[in-house]
Amino acid sequence: MRRFFYIPLFLMVLFILGVIIALFFRSSPVEILKALSSRETMYALRLSVLTSIAALLVSASVGIPTAYLLARESFPGKAIMELLLEIPLVMTPLIAGLGLLLLFGREWLGDSLERMGITVLFTPLGAVIAQIFIASPILVKSARAAFEAVDSRYEQAAATIGLSPFRTFCLVTVPMAKRGLLSGIIISWARAMGEFGATLMVAGATRFKTATLPISVFLNIGTGELESALACAWVLLLAGFLMLFALRMMGEDRTHDSLAQGVRL
Amino acid sequence: MKRILFAIMALTALAPLQAPCAELHLFAGAGLRHPVDRLVEEFQKKAGHKVVSDYDGSGRLLAKISASGSGDLFMPGSLFYIEKLMKEGKIASFKPIVAHTPVIAVNRKKADLIKGFSDLAKPGIRLAFGDPKAMALGKTTVTILDRSSLKEKIMSNAVVYGATVKQLAIYAAQGEADATIIGRADAFQFKDKLIMLPIPKEYFEDETVAVAVLTSTRNPAEAELLQNFLSSPEAIETFKSFGFLPLE
Repeated sequence: MRRFFYIPLFLMVLFILGVIIALFFRSSPVEILKALSSRETMYALRLSVLTSIAALLVSASVGIPTAYLLARESFPGKAIMELLLEIPLVMTPLIAGLGLLLLFGREWLGDSLERMGITVLFTPLGAVIAQIFIASPILVKSARAAFEAVDSRYEQAAATIGLSPFRTFCLVTVPMAKRGLLSGIIISWARAMGEFGATLMVAGATRFKTATLPISVFLNIGTGELESALACAWVLLLAGFLMLFALRMMGEDRTHDSLAQGVRL
Repeated sequence: MKRILFAIMALTALAPLQAPCAELHLFAGAGLRHPVDRLVEEFQKKAGHKVVSDYDGSGRLLAKISASGSGDLFMPGSLFYIEKLMKEGKIASFKPIVAHTPVIAVNRKKADLIKGFSDLAKPGIRLAFGDPKAMALGKTTVTILDRSSLKEKIMSNAVVYGATVKQLAIYAAQGEADATIIGRADAFQFKDKLIMLPIPKEYFEDETVAVAVLTSTRNPAEAELLQNFLSSPEAIETFKSFGFLPLE
């Protein structure tokens, strides 16, 4: 029976390969390279890298403690909070963007923030905030699974030898959950890099200011400049590929999870 | 004119006999959605053919048609896009319908601050514009500013550029921008939040909304029926009720 299951496997592989090949052969490499080195593409690339890293840093520093708490504690209202944390995952990003536009608009938070000198709408900061909204729940979800996979008896053992809870978290739990945490970080980073709908509404599509790579793709498809769109698409694809590759490499690393063994001793 | 009416009448009479009914794919500009939705519904009832409408920015629709080489009809917000496809030999015929007129849409709260075109150059005014390449109206905006003597001052008031006209309308209606340049029909849709100010006539030419039959159609007769219906006098009345102006 398993032999027949190779048919759907090959179909899926061919399907995805077909899309990649179609994207690649639409234009000549020379045209793509030319579009790639354009000032606009380079700006969008730099903006995408910077905003997604900023979004990732915030998401990780808020998301990892959140995930740990959800994995270890039970408290009143937990079920509802868990549900809320998953809403961005099922929300259309454009709607998230509309919600963020209203929240950070002048009638709600916008005015008070502006008095503090912070402008969210139509700025790169807006792009970061949109990316945080979309990417952080993904990080929480995978980090939580990673923490849950760590047997809490290791933490108890660490406590019995006199480690403070904070040091236990840093020296035992996080290293043991390292692989799951890193994969969560990479997936949410990729999601932040590719974020489009929410960013479009909150940051706008201003070239050389808020146009990230996905927005640049969108603008250039609209002008029929497929070469520029494809050039950006290729950068995004390559980034995604590298991230997936890094994930695989970490998967191979399984046997060297030395800390787990270290604590067991 | 009579021929069109006759065609529609004949169509109504023959509808039950026409089996199997055709399915038509219509690419229409996102800004035309409200009138086109209503007209398509009427057409489906009368003619018994199914119409699938795909709404998006005209430029992206053009890219879709170019890349896929399929579809039956194309109805962009400007003749520019039909002319572009014509050069590729993808247009069988086209018929103009109504005018797509740009207006200044001002948030009602800023109505006393912005009373005419030149007020857009006042310092501190926050403007939202369409991307000059990705949006038909963004292109028109550049023409308007080029012909005015206030281009630099007005451009320096731009706080954001958008990729679709509805996005700009939302920014102005929400008050995140004080004013924007969008189509009359787009401003009309938000008339409780926006007021419309005219742009001096000498700064622009009206864009023409038109409906074209694509050479890729597999149902040329049915596509032509829909084209005739969408450009008929009663269709123009429907467009007018949504804020479009008739062609001069």
